[in-house]
Amino acid sequence: MAKEPMTPITLQPGTELRTRPRAMTRERMRWYVDAQPTIAADDGRIHTQPPTIHDDDDYARAQGLPGIIADGMISTNWIQGLLVDVFGPQFACRSRLKTKYIAPIYENQVVTACARVQTVTQNENGDTVYTLEVWCEDDSEKKLTVGSAMVQLPA
Amino acid sequence: MAIGGVVTDLDVGDILGPVEYTLSPFVVREYCHAVEMHQDCFQSADDLIMPPTLIHLDKLRLYNHACPGGTGPTARIHYEYDAEVFAPVRVGDRLSVSGEVKERYTKKGREYVLMEMQLKRIETGELLVRYLDQVILAYKAKEEKAA
Repeated sequence: MAKEPMTPITLQPGTELRTRPRAMTRERMRWYVDAQPTIAADDGRIHTQPPTIHDDDDYARAQGLPGIIADGMISTNWIQGLLVDVFGPQFACRSRLKTKYIAPIYENQVVTACARVQTVTQNENGDTVYTLEVWCEDDSEKKLTVGSAMVQLPA
Repeated sequence: MAIGGVVTDLDVGDILGPVEYTLSPFVVREYCHAVEMHQDCFQSADDLIMPPTLIHLDKLRLYNHACPGGTGPTARIHYEYDAEVFAPVRVGDRLSVSGEVKERYTKKGREYVLMEMQLKRIETGELLVRYLDQVILAYKAKEEKAA
């Protein structure tokens, strides 16, 4: 089980946060593919869907890709998971996350989600507002996903 | 207007939804399990909270509702995710999601579609999440673009 957030949060601008590196395995891509019809059905059972570019090499090649690639939302969620680990449930209460997929993530590519604190301010209500640069990189530090985040912590 | 056809036909001004539903604990747990977010607030708490990224699957909910013909001839590639959360969404909440196609444009040989979505609480009309989703309608490798 993931740890609850540190309290009080005392991150300073420049602080860098990172997840452990994870291989974007075929299974991880498949989990996300299957989650979509399963959630759409919402009947407590697992459902699957027709071939996609995220789980079927032949279909991906037919679409002009060299093979399956990860759904961009997986890397967005890995970044979000990092931010929830740091800031807790408040990240799901008052926040913003923006990500752009600048390079495809291929099978077994090693991915680390990262965040760097940019600013820490207080708003008119006394809430603490963090802004962060966020990204996912591979094991050569090549950026695959880039973006920004904001989280507002109540006073 | 391209509502009623396939996703690749969607055009500026198209309105998708609204679609109403109740957030279930199964949906929150299943989604977070799939993307390895095992924090208590998504898996174990009495009052599970919606991970903001779940709004992305509401886009598929809207597509299924507005485009019964399916995806169309090409696979979409997700390009940009941008979600702002104004208030927490919890299991049991009655929700309404809607979308509007804001832009459709071609850049470097690739066709992009930008849709804005809003997730509201039915009971009060409160805006809970605003989502800007940008997709590329068909993948084209660099070599193909140069041809």
